Amino acid sequence: MKKNLLSEIIKKKENKEEFAIITNIANGESCIFEKNKTLDKNFEKYSDQINSYFEKTKSGMIENTNIFVETYIRPIKVIIVGAVHIAQYLVDYAKSLNFEISIIDPRGYFANKQRFPDLKIINKWPDEAFKEIETNSSSALIALTHDPKIDDPAIQHALKNKFYYIGALGSKKTHENRCKRLREAGFTDDQINFIHGPIGIKLGGRSAPEIALSIIAQLVLETHNKQ
Amino acid sequence: MKNSFDEKILEEANDWIKANQKVVLATVIQTWGSSPRQVGSRMIVNEKGDFSGSVSGGCVESAVVRECVGIIKEKKPFKKIEFKVSNESAWKVGLACGGEIAVYLEEIN
Repeated sequence: MKKNLLSEIIKKKENKEEFAIITNIANGESCIFEKNKTLDKNFEKYSDQINSYFEKTKSGMIENTNIFVETYIRPIKVIIVGAVHIAQYLVDYAKSLNFEISIIDPRGYFANKQRFPDLKIINKWPDEAFKEIETNSSSALIALTHDPKIDDPAIQHALKNKFYYIGALGSKKTHENRCKRLREAGFTDDQINFIHGPIGIKLGGRSAPEIALSIIAQLVLETHNKQ
Repeated sequence: MKNSFDEKILEEANDWIKANQKVVLATVIQTWGSSPRQVGSRMIVNEKGDFSGSVSGGCVESAVVRECVGIIKEKKPFKKIEFKVSNESAWKVGLACGGEIAVYLEEIN
């Protein structure tokens, strides 16, 4: 692989672009594939197969050829609502998992650069904040304030935009009340049952890092379940 | 959402290159049976034999490091190597799990 190809790949990853690295293992040549862009001449005859691998987000050797395809997809967007203590541990765990994290919290004393360096922090109420983030069925929501004023609008946004994971912190009682409010707001039982509440898989712990671990474990599990 | 949990080995390779090291990239390109790491798993090796990442669960890494250092010394830009449990050197570097893997080595130049 050429050094300039490597820098180009890294730039694309930083920009969260979707692409594939194509390598001919018989002659050492490699190039970048992008949808709707002209493919390097040396790889033209494999264009259909490469396209099909890319569409299926598949990586591997194309059968009966010397061509290796490695597909890169955008990292999953995770939106944390509530820049609370648990969120600090969550961000720490998530670092090695390649999630693209944004934090929403209208309370500036919680969500600030000092508590969350190198992260996208939106100091706005959820309705305003979501105008700044493009979300879809590949997005995940972790609601941690257990304050209905902040969590509820975020959960409603996530339900409407069919997030693949929605989790909300709070006791069973808090969650029951939340469900009641969502029902009154017109959401169906199927939608409401989709919310993980109380959030996280049962590990037994109650400290902030343990709760964060149980949330991140559930998020990874649901990410694979979606595939 | 396959491949979403990226291990950032390419980024690390780029850092090594910026530090004027020679880097060989090893990538798992094929697997058969119960191989420990999936296709696309990566490892990087420099001319001194320092390495990062993995292509197996620690079973064949030492052999991969040797091959990668060899590539730099022999100025051969790329190579494909395979590891099987039935391999005659299985007692040394085979895959204990019974799987087979093919690894593609290429120098970043």
